[in-house]
Amino acid sequence: MTPQKSLFARLFPFSWRDLAVSAAILSCAAGICIPLQRANSSDGFASPVFVLAVLCVSRFTTGYLFGLIASVLGVVCVNFIFTYPYWVVNFTLSGYPLTFLVFLAVSIMTCALTTQARQSERLRAENEKEKARANLLRSVSHDIRTPLTSIVGSTSAVLDNPGLSLPEQRELLEDVRGEAQWLIRVVENLLSITRIGEDQARITTEPEAAEEIMGEAVRKFRRRYPDISVSVEVPADLLMVPMDPILIEQVLANLLENAAVHGERTSRIRVSVQAQDGFARFAVEDDGRGIPEKELPTLFDGTLKRNETTSSDGKRNMGLGLSVCLAIVRAHGGTMQAQNLSGGAEFTFRLPLEQQE
Amino acid sequence: MTIREKVLVIEDEKSISHFISTVLNNNGYEAMQARTGSEALSMITSHCPDLIILDLGLPDMDGLDILRQLREWSSLPVVVVSARSYEKDKVQALDLGADDYLTKPFGTDELLARVRTAIRHTRTASGNNEIAQKGTYTVGDLTIDYNKHQALVRGENVKLTLSEFRIVALLGKHAGKVLTYDFIIKELWGPRAGGDNQILRVNMANIRRKIEKNPAEPEYLFTEVGVGYRLAEEY
Repeated sequence: MTPQKSLFARLFPFSWRDLAVSAAILSCAAGICIPLQRANSSDGFASPVFVLAVLCVSRFTTGYLFGLIASVLGVVCVNFIFTYPYWVVNFTLSGYPLTFLVFLAVSIMTCALTTQARQSERLRAENEKEKARANLLRSVSHDIRTPLTSIVGSTSAVLDNPGLSLPEQRELLEDVRGEAQWLIRVVENLLSITRIGEDQARITTEPEAAEEIMGEAVRKFRRRYPDISVSVEVPADLLMVPMDPILIEQVLANLLENAAVHGERTSRIRVSVQAQDGFARFAVEDDGRGIPEKELPTLFDGTLKRNETTSSDGKRNMGLGLSVCLAIVRAHGGTMQAQNLSGGAEFTFRLPLEQQE
Repeated sequence: MTIREKVLVIEDEKSISHFISTVLNNNGYEAMQARTGSEALSMITSHCPDLIILDLGLPDMDGLDILRQLREWSSLPVVVVSARSYEKDKVQALDLGADDYLTKPFGTDELLARVRTAIRHTRTASGNNEIAQKGTYTVGDLTIDYNKHQALVRGENVKLTLSEFRIVALLGKHAGKVLTYDFIIKELWGPRAGGDNQILRVNMANIRRKIEKNPAEPEYLFTEVGVGYRLAEEY
């Protein structure tokens, strides 16, 4: 849609769909009147039926064009076909200017209301998008500020206190490294969002070996969390799945990271994939503390507010990572789910095995 | 006293260049720094480094152009440095003759491993020293026997098909280096083979099922997502 459409084009947009809708509604009105006319000698029924028709046309089409056409046609039909003398246009009959005005008024008012309703709907959708963006920004800013504070603090501690022992210095520097690595992952998630694009438009997918992508994600994860044991299960037959491999690796990395960080006492993670009803079903299960019940419903919308979580202070947000996962999976035409198992949490996502479009 | 290998670090970000140089200087190399492409080109001719670490995003010229110019007259090993999600740049750099790449951000372990591998490969003109001497390549429990055209795991022949063996043999010759999908396909099936890497994926999956304990947790045959494959050099 070009925003610079002329006022005329905006008020009187033409579409074949609207034309068809208008024609259908008016024919219905005529279809109702013809048998009534045969059965009944009085002509009183025609006007209300056509008023209703004009109202319907104005409601179900865009802009004013078809509403106005319908009101003109309605008046002509009522006058010409369904009012005595039949098949004669007779505006001299008393009350006809009034009928015509009523038809026009109904049409214009309904069109205006419909247009207004559509506009406010669009505004609301835009607002919602804006709100989501603001939420994301807030969540990211927080995710970035905490580790930066720690990095600046730790490095200052080392630089400004020459008396620190080597092990103390080392400990502080290890904190710095850990925080910086966290920042990198935040930024990589943001980059993934830009890779998907604004409206989660289609991404380009290529058939990839699921086991290769999982293997890489797990290998990198093990380097960061050597204490957590990870097992990977893949089907005996090679499973090729259409995907953007970098993005799906990001999804797996985020889910693994979540299991390690938010499971709190996670010691084992199981990653698996299997083919199921035309989908590849990836699962990441851990033996951690599970997902708090009240967080389950809002898990994927990135709106998890820090002060609502159990341990609010400095708690890392899993909102961003998960909403990125969801966005990526959706862009692939897939779905994502989370649930608590008897001991731990399970995140699954399904990607279609058939290339889309 | 041993002669320290000279490494030219071409990187415009001062802090990154500084940390790379510090790590190299403390691990038996002699690091030199260049901030721009033109500075780098003059330093390459005047200092004759043993290895170049090249950032692809330089202020005055495209890192790929430096690589292209260099490859016209030198086979000096080059490790390119690039950010994640620029697989195309990595693949292009590798196809232009870069020896390896590092993805930003990287740790010191990774940096040193890449530098070691790249320098080792230049010492033995065509690929791997061990292959030249013994006709075999061994890493961990895996042995590739180039004379008998066999791959052995713990001494046992894993019975690869001919094309499977050729893939493993090729990776073994360049062990530790990443080989792009295109490179492998062209080496195996000739320059006119299509860009379709499905066959390669399937072959790779079969090889992994014969060599690895778990194909999704490879110990020898690694995937570089979006780029290619690498055979382990250190186990």
